[in-house]
Amino acid sequence: MGYLQGFAVTFKKLTEDRVTTEYPEQKRPKADRLHGRHVLNRYEDGMEKCIGCELCAGVCPANCIYVRGKDNPDGDPVSPGERYGFIYEINYLRCIHCDMCVEACPTEAITESKLFEFSFTNRADAIYTKNELLVDDDGMPQHLPWEDWRPGEDEMTSGWMRATASSGNAAYEGKVAWSGELGYGVRAPEIGQSQDAPPADTSDSGAH
Amino acid sequence: MATNAYVPHAAGYVDNEGPKIVSSRFVHDDAFLLERSLATGGYEGLKKALTMAPVEVHDIVRDAVLLGRGGAGFPAGIKWGFCPPGKWPMYLVVNGDESEPGTYKDRLLMEMDPHQLIEGCLIACYALGLSQCFLYVRGEMALAQERIAHALNEAYEANLVGKNILGTDFSVDVVLHWGAGAYIVGEETALIESLEGERGMPRLKPPFFPAAIGLYGQPTIVNNVETLSNLPWIMVNGADEYKKYGSETSPGTRLFAISGHVKRPGVYEAEQGTTTFRDLIYGDNFCQGMKGDDELKMFIPGGASAPWFFPEQVDLPLEARPVGAAGSMLGSGAIVIMDESTDAVKACLRVVRFFARESCGKCTPCREGTTWEETLLRRIYDGHGRPGDLEMLLDIADNISPGPYPGAAWEEQGVEAIPFPPKQTTICPLGPSSVAPITSALRRFRDEFEAKIPQRTSIPVSAS
Amino acid sequence: MTDTQPETEASVTIVVDGQEVAARPGELLIDACERAGTYIPRFCYHERMKPVGMCRMCLVEVDTGRGMGLQPSCMIPVAEGMTVDTQSEITKKAQDGILEFLLINHPLDCPVCDKGGECPLQDQTMAYGPGESRFVEEKRHYEKPIPISDTVFLDRERCILCDRCTRFAKEVAGDPLIHFQGRGNQTEVNTFPDEPFSSYFSGNTVQICPVGALTAKPYRFKARPWDLEETESTSVADAVGSRITVQSSRNQVLRYMGVDSDPVNWGWLSDKERFSFEAFNSDERITEPMARSGGDLEPVSWGAAIAAVGDALKNTDPSRLGIIGGARLTNESQFAFTKLAKGVLGTDNVDAQLGDGLPAELVLGLPRATIDQACAPGGTIILMGPDPKETLGALFLRLKHAAVEDGATIIEVTPHRTGLGQYAAHHLHPLPGETAALAAALVAETPALDTAGVSADAITAARAAIAGDGPVTVILGRASVAESAAVIADAALSLTSIPGVRFLSALSRSNVHGALDMGMSPGLLPGRSTLASGTANWPNTPSTAGMSTAQMLQAAADGSLDTILLLGADPISDFPDTDLAERALANATVIAVDLFETASTDHADAILPAAAPQEADGSFTNLEGRVTKISRKVTPPGTARPDWIIAAELAMAAGGDLGIESLDDVWAQIAAVSPAHAGIDTASLDANQRDGVVVEGTLDLPAASGVSPAVADAYAYRLVVSRRMYDAGTILANSPSSAHLASGTALHLHPVDFDALGLDRGAEVTVSSATGSVSLPVEPSGDVPRGVAAVPANQGDIVVGTLIAVGDVATNVRVERGDS
Repeated sequence: MGYLQGFAVTFKKLTEDRVTTEYPEQKRPKADRLHGRHVLNRYEDGMEKCIGCELCAGVCPANCIYVRGKDNPDGDPVSPGERYGFIYEINYLRCIHCDMCVEACPTEAITESKLFEFSFTNRADAIYTKNELLVDDDGMPQHLPWEDWRPGEDEMTSGWMRATASSGNAAYEGKVAWSGELGYGVRAPEIGQSQDAPPADTSDSGAH
Repeated sequence: MATNAYVPHAAGYVDNEGPKIVSSRFVHDDAFLLERSLATGGYEGLKKALTMAPVEVHDIVRDAVLLGRGGAGFPAGIKWGFCPPGKWPMYLVVNGDESEPGTYKDRLLMEMDPHQLIEGCLIACYALGLSQCFLYVRGEMALAQERIAHALNEAYEANLVGKNILGTDFSVDVVLHWGAGAYIVGEETALIESLEGERGMPRLKPPFFPAAIGLYGQPTIVNNVETLSNLPWIMVNGADEYKKYGSETSPGTRLFAISGHVKRPGVYEAEQGTTTFRDLIYGDNFCQGMKGDDELKMFIPGGASAPWFFPEQVDLPLEARPVGAAGSMLGSGAIVIMDESTDAVKACLRVVRFFARESCGKCTPCREGTTWEETLLRRIYDGHGRPGDLEMLLDIADNISPGPYPGAAWEEQGVEAIPFPPKQTTICPLGPSSVAPITSALRRFRDEFEAKIPQRTSIPVSAS
Repeated sequence: MTDTQPETEASVTIVVDGQEVAARPGELLIDACERAGTYIPRFCYHERMKPVGMCRMCLVEVDTGRGMGLQPSCMIPVAEGMTVDTQSEITKKAQDGILEFLLINHPLDCPVCDKGGECPLQDQTMAYGPGESRFVEEKRHYEKPIPISDTVFLDRERCILCDRCTRFAKEVAGDPLIHFQGRGNQTEVNTFPDEPFSSYFSGNTVQICPVGALTAKPYRFKARPWDLEETESTSVADAVGSRITVQSSRNQVLRYMGVDSDPVNWGWLSDKERFSFEAFNSDERITEPMARSGGDLEPVSWGAAIAAVGDALKNTDPSRLGIIGGARLTNESQFAFTKLAKGVLGTDNVDAQLGDGLPAELVLGLPRATIDQACAPGGTIILMGPDPKETLGALFLRLKHAAVEDGATIIEVTPHRTGLGQYAAHHLHPLPGETAALAAALVAETPALDTAGVSADAITAARAAIAGDGPVTVILGRASVAESAAVIADAALSLTSIPGVRFLSALSRSNVHGALDMGMSPGLLPGRSTLASGTANWPNTPSTAGMSTAQMLQAAADGSLDTILLLGADPISDFPDTDLAERALANATVIAVDLFETASTDHADAILPAAAPQEADGSFTNLEGRVTKISRKVTPPGTARPDWIIAAELAMAAGGDLGIESLDDVWAQIAAVSPAHAGIDTASLDANQRDGVVVEGTLDLPAASGVSPAVADAYAYRLVVSRRMYDAGTILANSPSSAHLASGTALHLHPVDFDALGLDRGAEVTVSSATGSVSLPVEPSGDVPRGVAAVPANQGDIVVGTLIAVGDVATNVRVERGDS
C-alpha cells in the first residue's frame, strides 16, 4: 500500500503554487548584480567614453576583447582628449562575464547590462562591434533584433554597482563615485552600507 | 660721451666714518672716470705688482687671507692655487652677476669705481699668468655695464689693459659680457655655461670644479667683484697692513648691504670679525637703529638664501665661521632687517617665490619642489591651508634638503643651532636655499602659520 | 667592447649594499651597480650619452671617504673602497621624494599615453615611488601634443625634463634643434620658432624618452605595449645593418626599435631605418603573381607564373639573358639566385649594383675595416664617398662620435661639403672627375701642388694628418653618380699605399655587400671568389665574365640582350642614365621579382611577389662584411613568398635543381663553396644574434684603369648628383610618413656662381649636358665649391638622369637662365 503515499505527494503538489515558470514567455526577476551583455557608454554631451586604451583587452582573462585606438579627428572628436576607441569588439563565444573589463576601465566606458538572452547562428555574429555595443543617442543600450530585452533590464547595470565605493566604508555611503551617464544621469547609490560600520578614516578623504 | 654727463645716482652708498679699502672713491661722483681714478691712486697697485714676480703677488694675496666675497668665503689665494700647473690656456672670470635679493654692493663697486675692479682683474691675471679675463655683469645692471665698458675703453686707450701693459711684456684682454638676467648664473658653473653661450644651468661638481675644468673645458678661476676690488689696496699697502683690519681669521673690511626696517639702510664698509650685527643695526656710524625704534623681529644675515637670525643673534660678529656655527651664513653680505610688523608667512612666501621663479629647471627637486612650496605657502597665506600642510611643507623641504636644516638657536624653547651648510638632493644650492625661509620661519613663528590655517578637524560627510 | 672579452684591465673593489663588487676603473657607479645586479632607478642617464645628473632619481647614499651622503650615481666614477647603500632609509626617502616631485606635474593620462605599459616613469613609480601623491594643486598645463617635426609629436605636459632628447639632438645627432626654454616649473622642451626638429635621427628621441612626451606618428595609438610581440632583426633600409627589434601586433608590424649593438649602431637608427616598416605594410604591395596578357598585367597562379618565367629563362640564350639587382635580398636568396644564374642557367650577366656603385673586385679586394676600426680613437678617417649623413645614417653617428669625442681626424675628400663636414678637420673638394688625381697627390712624396681644384696647402695639411700615428681608414663610395666609378677606383688604389690603411665600403644600397659576397656581380662566385678561382662545382658555370648593369642595359637597348630579370631593382629610377634604362627595358622581356610596382615594372612581362625582410628569415651582410640575422615576424601579404623559394622553383621550371629546400640547405651549400663563410650557419647566426659574424677574405685587387682626368670644356660646371636620405625610392615612396620628405630637385651653386647668374632663389634655370637638358630651380649653397653644380638624385619630380652618360669620367654641364 506504500505506493499511495506517492500519489498523495502528487495530489498535494497539484494544489500548490507552481515553481516552474513559462520561460521565455514569463521571466523571473534577475538579480541586481547579474552580469550580462556589455554596453559602451557615452557622456551626456554624446561623446564616447571609450578612449581605446585597451586596458579591458589587456585584463580580459578570456581574451575576448579587441580594441584599437586612433587619433581623434580634428574638429570632430569622437571622445574627449586625444584618442578614441576606433575598433571595439567583444567575442561572446568567449566572454565569461567576469566584469574585469568594467573594473579596468579608466573612463567608465564599458559596463555590463543584465541581458544574457541573445543568440546567434554563426560565429561572426557572436562578435559584437562598436555598432552594437555603443549606447543609443538617448543613452540606453540598443535593443537589437536578436536580443530579448524586457522592461527594466537596462536599469541596473554594473555601472550602478560601481557607483558606490566598494570598500564598505561608511564614510562614503551615499557618495556616488561614478560620473553621469547619458541615459541615466548620476546613478543612485547602492543601498546596504551601514553607518554602524567602524568609524571611517577621513584623513585621506581628499583622494576622490 | 653720454656716460660723462650722467649724474651718478649712487643709490645705496652712505658716507660714514671708518676704514675704506674698496669704497674709498665712493665719495667722488666721477670716480668711474680714469682721470679721477688716477688722481686718487688708481692703478698704483698694478704698477707695484708689475715690479714683482707673479709668485710674489700670489704670495701677498695668500698672506692677506683675502676671503671670497661672493658667498662661500673661500680664501682667494688658496683658490688660485688649485689650478693644475701647465694646462693652458686658463681664464679669469669675474662674477658680476650679483642678484641675491638684498645684495647691491657689487653693483656699487661696478658703477662707482670700475677702474678699481679692472685693476684688481689685472693684478689677479698677473699673479696667475693669465692673458684672458671675462667680466660677467648681470643683465639688469645697465649702468654698471655702461660704466665698465667706458672704463675699459679708457683703460685700453691708456695702455692699462691690452697688449704690453705699461710697457711690460704683460698682456691681458678683458672682455665684458652682459648676462641675460638669471639669478642662477651667479652660481659659478652656471655662469661659465652662460659665458659659453649655453643656457645658464649649473654643472655638477664634483667631479670637476672650475679650477680644474671650467670655461671651454680649461682651468678657470671665478672670483667675485668685491674680492678682486680688494687687490689694488692690498698691493699698495701690503698684506700686513690689510690684516690690521678685522679679525685674525677674517682680515680686512667687507661691504654690507643693509635693507629693511632700519633708519639708514645702505652699503657700509665694515671691518670683518670685529664688527657685530648689533653695531651695524644700531650703531650710529651705520644704520642708526630700527625704523621707528620698533623691536627687531628677525633678520637675514647673508642674502635671501641664508637662514634667518633673530634678536638673540645680534651680537654675533660679522665673520663667516661664527655665523655658520650659529646656523646661517654671511653669504653675500646682504642683511635684511625685519621688525615686528613683518608677517612671517608673507616674508617666507616672498622669498620662496623668488627661488621658485629663478630655479633654472635643471634638476627635479628644485624645479618641482620650489614651486610646490610656493603654491602651498600661497594657499596657507590666502587662508586655504589644510591641517597637515605644515608637516607636508617641511617634508617637501626635506626632500630638497634632507636632514636637519641649518638654523639659529632659540634658547627659550631649547632649540639648538644647527650649523651651516645644509645637505642637498639638488645640483646647486638654489633648491636648498628655498628651504631656509621655510624652516627658519616655521621653527620660530609656527603659531603665525597655524593662525592662518582654518581649524577644521575633519571634512563633513553628508549621509544623503 | 663586448662582455666576452677577457678582463685584462685592472679593477677596483667597491661595496654595494654590503657586497664587495669588482668594477672597472673609471666606470660610473650606476653602471657598476647594474652589472653587479643592483639596479638604480634613473631617467636622465643613458649609457650612450654623457651623464648630466639632473633627474636626481639615481641618488644613493655613497661614502667616498667623507662619510655617507646622497650622491647621483650616474655622475660618480667608482673609486677603490667606495661604499654604496642603495637600500637605506635615506636613499629610499630621496627616491620617494624625487618621484613625487616628478609626478606632481605629470598628467597621469597613462590610458591614453602610448608609453603606458612600457614607461620607465610608470615602472619606477611602481618599484620605487611613494605610492600616493600629496599634491592637490593645479598641474601645469600646455597644449597637448604639438608636432615638432613631420614624424614626431611633443606633449610637454608629460615631459619630465630629463634632457635625454635635447642631449641626443645636440651631442649625438649634432642637430640642436630642440632645447629647454623657460625657467623653473615652466621649463619646457621645444623647438625654436619656425625651425622644426627636422633631424634625420628624430625618431631616436622617441625611443629614449622615459615618458610619453615624444611620440612618433607611425606608431601613435596603433597598439599598446602588452599586445606587441617582438623579435630581433637587422634593418635593411641601408647598408649599415643596424640591429632592430621588429614589433608586431595581430600580424602587422607596428614599429622598429633600435637595439644597442656595440660594434654597429649603438642603439641609434636613422629615421629612414626606423620608419621603413610602413612601406612593407603598404596596401601597394604586390600580393599575387602577375603576367602580361593583352597589354595589361593580370593576376595569375604561382604555378602558371613560375612555369612561364621558367620557360622564358630556359629558352633564352644564356648570353642574351641578364639579372639586374638583388641588393634587397637576404644572403640566402642572393646565393639561390646566383646559383640559378651561374649554376643552372649558365649566364654570368648578373649585377646587383645599378651603375651607382663600385667595381666588385675593388670592394672585395681592398683591406676591409670594421666600423670600430674606422672609429678608433685618435685615428684618421678619409671620407671619399657619399655623405654618410644622407646615405648611412647610423654610420654617420658613429663617425661623428669618433671625431667629436674620440679625437679622430676626418679628411673630407668629396665633391662638396657633407653632413660630416662640420666635424672634419680637412676639407678637400676635388672637382668631379679629378678625385683620382687628388688621391695620388695625397700619397705622393713630392711637394704638393694645386691639384683638382684643391690648394697645395690643404693637401700638405691633409698629408700630415694621414701620416699621423693613428690608423687610417678610408670611407669609400660614390659621392656622385655623375662621376665615373673608375675615377674612385683609381683613387682608392692610390690610397692603398698608405701604411696600414683600411677601407670601409660606403655602398649604401641595403644588402649590396651580401650580394657581392654571394657573387652577384659579373665574374664573381659566392665567397669572394672569381670565376677562375671559385670552388663552386656547378654544372653550367660560365667561364668568361659577363656584363655589368650598364653593359646589360646597353645590350638590351641595342637588341643583343633579350630577357632581363629584375630582382627588386628599379633601373629607371636608380640607374644614373635614365634614358638608357628606359630604352633597355622597353626593348627586352622583363621579369620582375619585387615588393612593389615601380617605374621599371611597368615594362615587366611578369611580376613575382616577394616577401619583405620582416616576412622571411634570412641574413644580412653589412658594409663591414658582418653577417647578422634577419628574422621573420609576420606572414607575407597575399601569396608573396621568400625570394630563395622563388629562385628554387624557377630553377625547377628551367630544368635544373638548386638542391635547396631550407635555409640550412643554403648555408650548407654556401659553406661548401665559400671558405670565407665557413662556420656560419643558421645556428651560429642565432648564437651571435646581436653582433653577428664578420666575414673575412679578400680578392686580388684589380689594376688601376688609369682614366684620364676629366677636362674642362665650354660647359663650365661639373655636375654632382648625390643621394639624399629622403628620395623617391620605392620604400620611402610607400611609407606614408616619409613619402613627402624628399626635398625636391634643385640645382645648388656656390653663392658667387649663383650671383653671377643674376637670378632670384628658386628661379628656373636650364642645365644642359652633352646628352640632354632639364629645367631646374636654382639655389645658392655655401656647401658647394665654385665650378660645381650639385643636384640631389631621384627626388621624384624632375629627372636629372638624362644629363648623365654612363662611362663618362665626369659630366660637364652648362647652366643658363630661363627655361629651355
